[in-house]
Amino acid sequence: MIYLDNAATSGVKPKEVKNRVIYSLDNLCANPGRGGHKASLAAAEAVYEVRDKLSSFFGAGGAEKVAFTANCTHALNFVIKGVLKAGDHAVVSDLEHNAVMRPLKAVTDNVSVAEVSFFDDDKTAESFKSLIKDDTGLVICTAASNVTGKILPLKKIGRICKEKGVPFLVDAAQGGGVIPIDMKEMNIDYLCLAPHKGFYAPMSTGVLIAEKSIGKTLIEGGNGTDSLSLIQSAVMPGGFESGTVGLPTICGIGGGVDFVNRRGRKNIYDHETSLISRLYDRLSSLEKVIFYTPRPENGSFAPVLSFNVSGKNSEEVAATLDRRNIAVRAGFHCAKSAHEKLKTTDVGAVRVSPSIFNGINEIDYLYEIIKKI
Amino acid sequence: MILGSVKTELIFLENKISVGSVTYAIKGRDVLRNNGFKVNIERKPSKSLSGCGYALKFVGDPDKAKAILQSHGIKIKDI
Repeated sequence: MIYLDNAATSGVKPKEVKNRVIYSLDNLCANPGRGGHKASLAAAEAVYEVRDKLSSFFGAGGAEKVAFTANCTHALNFVIKGVLKAGDHAVVSDLEHNAVMRPLKAVTDNVSVAEVSFFDDDKTAESFKSLIKDDTGLVICTAASNVTGKILPLKKIGRICKEKGVPFLVDAAQGGGVIPIDMKEMNIDYLCLAPHKGFYAPMSTGVLIAEKSIGKTLIEGGNGTDSLSLIQSAVMPGGFESGTVGLPTICGIGGGVDFVNRRGRKNIYDHETSLISRLYDRLSSLEKVIFYTPRPENGSFAPVLSFNVSGKNSEEVAATLDRRNIAVRAGFHCAKSAHEKLKTTDVGAVRVSPSIFNGINEIDYLYEIIKKI
Repeated sequence: MILGSVKTELIFLENKISVGSVTYAIKGRDVLRNNGFKVNIERKPSKSLSGCGYALKFVGDPDKAKAILQSHGIKIKDI
């Protein structure tokens, strides 16, 4: 199998990840943050270590700013529904995933959509700026589109948010661990992550990093503190970690951060981007291939490429590739907004997303198969 | 004429500071250790009004420890 669907989840797991998961299963038997015995504290220390690694990786204010959630979507729900009240105004980009748009729709219809330019980041930032009002409660944008790969100008948007005094939420499900993100430098108040993608971790644990308070909790329950009170405080991280956290998965995330640091985030990004650029260049020679974005230049696009084959539904193309043991993602990628922007709500798109473990030969084989379709 | 000097030294007994969660307890322990305190984490006494939680057990000046913890954003429940 040639796995090129890493934007959905990482296919190959590095040894650092697998070793840490196995270590936790063998050695960390207790519930972290629940008991006072040595085993529970050892488990809590392991979780704390991963919080600390993530805080350092993303330039956050400390381990206590990092909460582990069920997944990135839960983390986004915590912020959107905790910060905004019904009817509040929010600004989003036109490339958002449903993980942002659906919880937002559940809270408010008072939403302005900023236009993302594939060519001009200043124009994108200006679009956000023009839509922020005195009563805007939250600005939300994806770090990188899961359909087009376009990296949003987070630093420019963050600066505008700071100037306007509006909280800034970044959905880094795509791009977290792959593209440069520094919360302090970019004035990001809330960062949500899917470590099973950019950090090659197991599925089922997301990450919420909050520099600012989130007004209220969304899911309440036991979290190891203040058990005699029925009121759960919204203090990070415990306020957003009701119930037992996924210790083996969290340890796997720690291994993933170690892997990315060892290989070098930029090296990983450069390798994956070189594969996508090569595919773009090769497919450009085929008249039947339709692109929706310019050539993915290094620094402007995450390593994701969506296209179609003229006259074919995207699912047909993906099924043909699957018969040749190539895994890609077709359809609408849970991103209504992005496909409306690309005008592909009729056919969807074929999305290719490599990882550090893919090579040129696999990209060339993919090209040869598409050429024959 | 200086006949001599008497050096006085405060002797602190063991103190405990309750914090909001095990995360704050670990961070607090590391911060206090970096500031020369001998400190360990233990479960908060069950007589606490709010129930379960964690405390930092240390030897040293409680006011100094409290100030250090607060300067690092560690939420203190009680001393």
